[in-house]
Amino acid sequence: MIVEGEYTFSGPRDVVWELLQDPEVLSKAMPGAARLALVGDGAYEGSIRVGVGPVTAAEWKLAVTLQDRDPPAHYVMQVDSKGPIGFTRGSASVDLAETDGGCTLMRYRADLQVGGKVAGIGQRLIDQVAKMMTHRGLDALSNELRARLAEEA
Amino acid sequence: MTRRYVGERVARNEDRRLLTGRAMFVDDVQLPGMLHVAFLRSDHAHALLRGVDVSAALERPGVVAVFTADDLGDYWQPGPLLVPPPPVEGIVFHEATQVPLAKDKVRHVGEPVAMVVAESRYVAEDALADIVVDYEPLDAVVDLEAALAPDAPLVHERFGTNMAAFVAQRHGDYDRARAAADMVISRRFLYDRGAAAAMENRVVAAQWDPLAEDLTVWDTTQAPIPIRNGLARMLGLMESQVRVVAPFVGGGFGPKIMMFYPEEVLVPWAAMRLGRPVKWTEDRQENFFATSQERGQVHDAEMALTRDGRILGVRDFFLHDCGAYDPYGLTIPINSQCTLLGPYDVPHYYSEFRAVFTNKTIVTPVRGAGRQHGVFVMERLLDIAARELGLDPVEIRRRNYLSPELFPHNFDILYQDFAPLYYDSGNYLPALETATEMIGYEGFREEQRRLREEGRYVGVGVVSYIEGTGIGPYEGARVTVDPSGRVRVATGLGTQGQGHYTAFAQIVAEALDVDVERVSVVTGDTREFGWGTGTFASRGAVVAGSACHAAAVAVRGKILAMAARVLGAAEEQIDLADGRVSVRGIPERFMTLGELARHANPLRGAVKPGTEPGLEATAYFGPDHGSTASGVHAMIVEVDPETAMVEILRYVVVHDCGRLINPQLVEGQVQGGVAHGIGNSFYEKLHFDESGQLLNASFMDYLLPTAMDVPRVEMAHMETPAPMNPLGLKGVGEAGAIPAGAAFAQAVEDALSGYGLEITEIPLSPSQLFELLQVARAASPQIQETAG
Repeated sequence: MIVEGEYTFSGPRDVVWELLQDPEVLSKAMPGAARLALVGDGAYEGSIRVGVGPVTAAEWKLAVTLQDRDPPAHYVMQVDSKGPIGFTRGSASVDLAETDGGCTLMRYRADLQVGGKVAGIGQRLIDQVAKMMTHRGLDALSNELRARLAEEA
Repeated sequence: MTRRYVGERVARNEDRRLLTGRAMFVDDVQLPGMLHVAFLRSDHAHALLRGVDVSAALERPGVVAVFTADDLGDYWQPGPLLVPPPPVEGIVFHEATQVPLAKDKVRHVGEPVAMVVAESRYVAEDALADIVVDYEPLDAVVDLEAALAPDAPLVHERFGTNMAAFVAQRHGDYDRARAAADMVISRRFLYDRGAAAAMENRVVAAQWDPLAEDLTVWDTTQAPIPIRNGLARMLGLMESQVRVVAPFVGGGFGPKIMMFYPEEVLVPWAAMRLGRPVKWTEDRQENFFATSQERGQVHDAEMALTRDGRILGVRDFFLHDCGAYDPYGLTIPINSQCTLLGPYDVPHYYSEFRAVFTNKTIVTPVRGAGRQHGVFVMERLLDIAARELGLDPVEIRRRNYLSPELFPHNFDILYQDFAPLYYDSGNYLPALETATEMIGYEGFREEQRRLREEGRYVGVGVVSYIEGTGIGPYEGARVTVDPSGRVRVATGLGTQGQGHYTAFAQIVAEALDVDVERVSVVTGDTREFGWGTGTFASRGAVVAGSACHAAAVAVRGKILAMAARVLGAAEEQIDLADGRVSVRGIPERFMTLGELARHANPLRGAVKPGTEPGLEATAYFGPDHGSTASGVHAMIVEVDPETAMVEILRYVVVHDCGRLINPQLVEGQVQGGVAHGIGNSFYEKLHFDESGQLLNASFMDYLLPTAMDVPRVEMAHMETPAPMNPLGLKGVGEAGAIPAGAAFAQAVEDALSGYGLEITEIPLSPSQLFELLQVARAASPQIQETAG
């Protein structure tokens, strides 16, 4: 499954970069009462709670590793999650570019493999759910950014 | 004989129990102290198994045991190879049978990794989430051609290839035929995978009795006797210590004979080990991953013909998808190879196939068992040839049928029973003429033109097929006259809705001249009858039916001999009619069969040497060859070129399964088979992604045809009796499903004539047909749909 798109943050690139490395901020951007902790350099572990269509929400163990980091412009995120109803694994590349007016344009492209029960039963909805989760996450990050910039002001 | 039952529409005597909810199914087995099982199944299609940690699951209240491959010790063994490879010269066969629980590696999604036994299924399912499995994912093998590429990942490393088998068979000299041909048609054909989707999933329950020292297993299997034999061997018991009962089973269709499923091996073992009854009921989701499937093949085929449409030869190269293991040997691709020839006189034939391991659910026979692929390839080649030659599709078939004087007919290639492909009998042309008459073929073209002017796209398809049925090795039956006067028949087959209880009762009732209602049949209980193989290959009625007949004839002999003694007359003077024996001409000197049975089991006096007590006999039947059923399917469809939806307006089947035992049962089999075939043609397809994940593992996304999609089949019966068995029977269980795809493709193409599209792939779906239409429109912009 490919999830790709663009998102514009109303704030400078280095602040966005900082947010994207902060486990507390990231956990707010993840669905279902997520926990996320930094366990090593660019390595995070935690859990999220997700359901897809007819598949009831269940807890997924999540491991994320950031690689190829080129602050504040680029990184690749390896994702590995497992739950009682299946697994998701793959990588997402994220590019941040400065745009006019002090904004930051994010381009992302994730190539994810989904397996197990969730793939067999939830297939029709997986793409939509992934897109929805991505948008909600990015909106949450955007709100966080606004809050942080307001604090600084 | 006064009573006639064979050939009559006797009402199914099992229906009273089924319709009033009193028929026992395996899931009805409820025993005190029973434990329940859930299986942890692989989420990965292909991965190394680094470790399985069950410690948290064991701590969950209510969990009694959790087993992994390591806990099985010596009991962990790959399953038996059910059908060894046929003795074809130059054959390659790599045996890799399924294992009870994955060890070291998982090879398809749904392969069992651990077994949880708990006080309830709820607890067992919850405990699955406690188990931590460390997988190291590997690239999966999904596509058949990619699987054979030199750098493909390997499903079974030890073979150094994903090729499971190679078989080449020839009849005549195809190259010579090709050189002499006026025309050669060659195409690639695809047939994809579906699920059997029986109404009842698989269920296994087992109980060990430590006092009697015996094991009872209730199993939805189609082959209870081989299951008993195998379990006894694996568990170190005598066959007599194991009783396998296959009670009423809600549909078999082939996958329930894949002896031995991991669950079938593990549930009885767990019952013995834990000393408590154990049951596992497959849920529908598991069924999509863990019950065998069928139909993935890719054919590159060509046909050489003369200008006037006579077949000179056929050549076919094909790939067959085995899935992750090949316990059923080569039955399916051999069936494809042999059935391709159909009812036609094909002087030269060359066929070779490669069976291929993939990281998908195991493939074993599903209703048709490879035959539909052969029929699809042959019938499509004929359709294409007819179009190129400007011949009518019915006419090209007429020109190529084997004529009646060519029977019995022998092709020099081996069939699934390892005997040469042998057509015992057949008479094909009358079936074609009847079918075309029933569907109104003659007047159809005009009707088609008229409807096209109204903006309606209708088309007709007419195809032929043969089906090798009723193969050996053998079945048996015991017939007993009870002192109550009722007659009991026991046979070793399992029954899954075919109507065995009625068909076998008819055969025995006629032979003994008793009321069919007084004959009760028991099947599928190894303690009742312990010799035989099972219900598969459209053989139940032919092989077990013939055994029932032989046993009934033997009992008839005993009845006449005993009656002669008791009534004091010569045997030739005894009349057996209406459940009683009497002396001819002296009707008052009579005795009921029940009274005679009591005389045959005396409390005083001696049973004379050379005689036996009771009115009972056991007999066996094993045919040298199968018997060849055949038929013609014709259908009329209407296609909406805008939405690409297809409606089947009429469906005609003319079927020849030899002598009919009960036309109503035959019609039920054909109607059900056609429904299965329509599903295969247009609805049912399992979609796997490139990592081997099944993407439509529920009835929300996997489309079964409904009553709205399956018309009532109009049927006619031809009866060309089989010479190989005394009743002249041929099988009918799979026939309805076999040619449906070919008929559908021809009819849809015909409805869309003018578009220039060619259907070479089954199942076709509305979206695939839509794409074909788009391509056709792009290629010929002059296509104008008439406004409806």
